[in-house]
Amino acid sequence: MKHFLPFLITIATVVLVLLGWVQSGVVARERMRSSRTPDEAARLLLSQVQARKWDFAHTLLANTGEVEKAAFVRDVAGSNGSLLTYASLEKFDVWPLHNNGREATVRVKLHYSTAVGPLDDVRDLQVEHQGETWRVRWPTTTIAKVAPQVIPVNYLRWDVINRNAEDDWGVQNVDSPQVRILSMNALQRPDRIVILGEIVNEDTIPAYINVGATLLRPDGSPIAQETSFDKISHVLLPKQVSPYRIDFPGIKLDQVKSVRMDAKAMLVPASADPVIEVNRQKLETDALGKKVLRGDLVNQSGQIVNIPHVLAAYYDANGKVIWVSDGYVDQELQPQIPVAFAVDVPDDVAPKVHNYHVVVNHYDINNAS
Amino acid sequence: METGYLRRPIPLAAIVLLALVVHGPLLTMQLPLTTSYDANLHIFFASHYAHHWFDPWNEKWFAGFSQTTYPPLGHQWIAIFSYIVGLREAYALVQLIAVVLLAIGVYRFSRLWVSERASSYAAAFSVFLGAVAFLVYSAGQLSTMLSAPLYLLALPYFYDWSRSADGKGLLKGLVLIWAAASVHHVTLIFGSVLFALPVVWLACIDRHEGRSVAAVLTRAIMFAVVAGIGVGVILLPYWIAIIRHPIEQIPIPHASRSNLLLNLNYLTNYFFVPYGALILALPFVIWIGSANRRLRPLLFGFWVAFLFGLGGTTPVPKWIFGRAFEILTFERFTLSAALLALPIVGLLAESLLDRYRAVAAVGLSAAAAATMAIAMGWLAWSPFHTLSGLNVDSVVEFLNRNGHDRYRYLTLGFGNALPKVSTYANANSVDGEYNSARLLPEMTHYGSAQLTSAKFFGTAGMESVRAMLKHANNYGLKYVFVHDPYYEPMLAFAGWRKIETYDSGTVTVWSKEDVPPARPIQSDAMPAPWEGLLWGTLPLGSSILAILLALLLPDRVRATERVVEFPAPAGERVYAREARG
Repeated sequence: MKHFLPFLITIATVVLVLLGWVQSGVVARERMRSSRTPDEAARLLLSQVQARKWDFAHTLLANTGEVEKAAFVRDVAGSNGSLLTYASLEKFDVWPLHNNGREATVRVKLHYSTAVGPLDDVRDLQVEHQGETWRVRWPTTTIAKVAPQVIPVNYLRWDVINRNAEDDWGVQNVDSPQVRILSMNALQRPDRIVILGEIVNEDTIPAYINVGATLLRPDGSPIAQETSFDKISHVLLPKQVSPYRIDFPGIKLDQVKSVRMDAKAMLVPASADPVIEVNRQKLETDALGKKVLRGDLVNQSGQIVNIPHVLAAYYDANGKVIWVSDGYVDQELQPQIPVAFAVDVPDDVAPKVHNYHVVVNHYDINNAS
Repeated sequence: METGYLRRPIPLAAIVLLALVVHGPLLTMQLPLTTSYDANLHIFFASHYAHHWFDPWNEKWFAGFSQTTYPPLGHQWIAIFSYIVGLREAYALVQLIAVVLLAIGVYRFSRLWVSERASSYAAAFSVFLGAVAFLVYSAGQLSTMLSAPLYLLALPYFYDWSRSADGKGLLKGLVLIWAAASVHHVTLIFGSVLFALPVVWLACIDRHEGRSVAAVLTRAIMFAVVAGIGVGVILLPYWIAIIRHPIEQIPIPHASRSNLLLNLNYLTNYFFVPYGALILALPFVIWIGSANRRLRPLLFGFWVAFLFGLGGTTPVPKWIFGRAFEILTFERFTLSAALLALPIVGLLAESLLDRYRAVAAVGLSAAAAATMAIAMGWLAWSPFHTLSGLNVDSVVEFLNRNGHDRYRYLTLGFGNALPKVSTYANANSVDGEYNSARLLPEMTHYGSAQLTSAKFFGTAGMESVRAMLKHANNYGLKYVFVHDPYYEPMLAFAGWRKIETYDSGTVTVWSKEDVPPARPIQSDAMPAPWEGLLWGTLPLGSSILAILLALLLPDRVRATERVVEFPAPAGERVYAREARG
């Protein structure tokens, strides 16, 4: 016993550690380190991107000589305070599209965790057979540059003088700006009720606005209360209109007798700069077969806009708002350089869309307040 | 009678002095408050007891939570001492008492298995144990550190009662067990298996001639039943809370559950640092533990604790704990494994000192000191840094002025500095650092821990923050303090505005204007007044009774026992057996 037991304990421990080794996916991870198929090549590259091992990831490319490392990193990890710089690649899916033995195409879906919520990015990657292995050919993108120029900034700006430094940022001791809910539409979606519409600042001063809704039962008691959160443009300049959307997950429309809308407004300092132009908008079907509204954003100012947020309202033939969708753009807006955007439109809504209106919110690192 | 210093046991008083000399200065510097993860959490709990002894409902976190979800004794003693020396110093004092009690506990526990001399070495090593330094200065697990020695102190009485029906042992053992459970129930639950079963086994081996194993087992079961009933009554509000709201939240990832072999930092943090030089002794622990029949129960206890301490490195914890695997953290088992190994390590030290004298003394001392030095050094070298040292004075000052405490607040990027804010600010938060007490759906529906550290939990964390911010008006959540610009875009898009900046821009305050003042959030988790009364009296009473029994019913001095030489030449030898008067 006394000689047998130490060996038994040692062997049992080793066996258990080996079992744990296998269970924790080491074997699968080792397979990921190879690139004997196009699929494996894409997984190997993305696993290195996920681990932020840029040097090694860059060496895995088929066209290392053509793609600068800095450009590659900018492509997958962002730059200039864009949303991708606030993101980490949480997981990815890879599936093959085409393979002729020498070249292949794989589609990858990248799931990022970002500072504003999850972000999915679908890309088609070209993969080449080189020797015994496959390697991803990274698309070479040239960064658009504009000629040096002076951009005069002459947009309106409203400053507010508070009584003292202890005051809150919204000015409480003056009349609130006049805002009006232009439309409100309650929709039943498969998993939720959605309240959407538009709100306008009818005043001559800028307004901070927030729209909330309370669903009421037949007896008048509240079922749930939600706000528009980021599905609204919170600061509206005079006469500016913003779409809003309020979601009530897990509630059915037949439970609801009425909706109490609550639009809060207060005077805040604001600026019309930067102006972001929306061009070439059109409804399309994307590579995954989903309906999307695509377009380009152009930053008309001379400062970088770090994180743009697109908010779109869709109207039917009668001019009624039938859907509001939003999406964050993962690239920063450099002055004068168009950046593409795409926001989802539900398949059942898309055929009814007659017109749309796009509003762009933005976050600037140097002007977050 | 041996005359050489190296052949005599180290006096217990000297070991206590050693513990005071080694840990006293570190704790006087209040090191855990700036280096550990949980020290500020314990101070936060204690602060509540200092102000509301009989009301365990604490509104400062999670829009209200019950402190009956965590055994109170350690916190209550901090609260008592805080009336004299202040909260921070009281924490250090209680932690120091725990470290000293641990050395005494190891000594008394080791005496069950090995000679007085080997036990004294085991106790001395416990002062330098990497796992102790890790739990005190890095993890800040005061409750584990205080409950483990109480439990170790109870075990010899449990042994005496089980083996020879010693009534005094029954009484003292039970009271100590109740006190240990009042500090940390989890240590008691796992200790029952890892420590108590080997002791019962030993009592069976050591039973008096003519006594049956059944009698020993019957007495052990009696002890367990009475102890269980006592724990049930003393911690009744806890059981009510846990039955009413079982932990059903989505599991939160923890590094101690991972396969340590896949990450060198985790391996260092959860294996090399806690075990230190003990790793070199592990083959001997197995060898010596196997060689003697009396040490085998201890060896098995050690082995199981060792496997548990490896977390997800082996599948054993997952097999044993099932779903609870995703709730538990496994660093505490490393302490258990080390404590269970110490008696055998003491024996090894005894043998080395007999053979190599001064050389062995120098070597063993160096190994012990290096173990602790590495654990302390790891506080600086480790890639896992806490934010417990963050200066939150300006945040507290903001919340305590101009009626800002009428609203709730949230911190983002504050890590474990959050309890520091909560302890000294009058305002309440929707967040909190104690995961088991979370009942708000915005937190339990996502696999994320504290909102303040949301980004480290990826999408789950950020979705949890988003859900909370969406319901800001409902909770009166007006102020958000940001110590990491990562969180600023979400706040900006959701309508918050930056209003103040502190510490050269490292901390910013954001507010939202249309938020109404906070109102109490109704909760069925609020304990009844009688539960508060029970909570405020029984746990503390158990510890006072334990102190009284220790003073009024002193233990008999144990007679010198037979000790066999190491290594045992052949056959089953007895290393130590108690001789009773």
